[in-house]
Amino acid sequence: MDQRNKYDQVAKVFDFFRKGDMRRWGRVQKDHFKQMHGKILHIGVGTGMEIINFPPGLDITGIDLSAKMLERALWRAKQYQGKIRFCLMNAETLAFPDDTFDTVATVCVFCTVAHPVAGLKECKRVLKPGGKLLLFEHVMSKNLIYGLSLKFMSLFTNALEGTHLDRDTVENVRKAGFKVQSEKNVYLDIVKAIEGVK
Amino acid sequence: MTISRSLYILIHMNFKIIDPLTGICSGAIIAFAVSQIIPTDWNMFLAMAVGGGIGMVLKFVLLLLLAPFFGAFEVMIPLSIIAMSVGMLSGMASAQGSVPDGCISVTGGIIGLAVSAAIYFSNKKLVRLQ
Repeated sequence: MDQRNKYDQVAKVFDFFRKGDMRRWGRVQKDHFKQMHGKILHIGVGTGMEIINFPPGLDITGIDLSAKMLERALWRAKQYQGKIRFCLMNAETLAFPDDTFDTVATVCVFCTVAHPVAGLKECKRVLKPGGKLLLFEHVMSKNLIYGLSLKFMSLFTNALEGTHLDRDTVENVRKAGFKVQSEKNVYLDIVKAIEGVK
Repeated sequence: MTISRSLYILIHMNFKIIDPLTGICSGAIIAFAVSQIIPTDWNMFLAMAVGGGIGMVLKFVLLLLLAPFFGAFEVMIPLSIIAMSVGMLSGMASAQGSVPDGCISVTGGIIGLAVSAAIYFSNKKLVRLQ
């Protein structure tokens, strides 16, 4: 089953399983996304749970691979005090011209994108020079015990929903050609708020 | 107080209370389950391996039950460590036959609390270290 179908299938229960994460990370996400400005590209909208953590008054283009997820995100978009439009699109092949956006934002997306560096290179392409990449992602831990747990669990999450728990997303951001300005630990050294610049 | 009201209060408790509480309960539940499954006449090493295996299976069940309310990573990391260590130790203790089941469960709970505390301080250090 491809990624799109997997996410279409879990759309109904997605909010339920992410509720705990949102309770834990809501405040930190609000703080991280305060830096959003200008035209925004939000990759991996999902059911739109993170929209509540974005500052009001922005011009946001949200993309996702799953139509079912985007359907569920619509009511959240309506409540947002700003402009939001959704597009059905793959993060690895963005249908936007070069230098379109001022900020690209993601929440737990590059653990799932099949070719993360290719996806991040696309982000760089659509960002204007000096544009910001704001990622809120989980990555592989450098601690041996936490790392082994993540490696083991990654076998299951990858098979079930294509989520990799053992990716070095900070390094991938560098590989894609971004300058990493900051990487803040949110939970252990696993959940991070990453800031990159084109 | 109704069950749904109790559940509501538990779910909306502060994470500083929830995290050690889930650690204690997970440790005690895994230890109790292993002590009920492993027979007293088993070889210690076999009991340890099977205990660890039972712990890992229970880890997935507890993860599915707890993660939606308390966060995937904040549940998964401590639970992974608790499940393996408590499962193995409880397996060995059960095979000995001389340790009461209650004592095994309490030990599981204490290990759960210790792991939760260790991760709490590790998290504080890692989040401050930037």
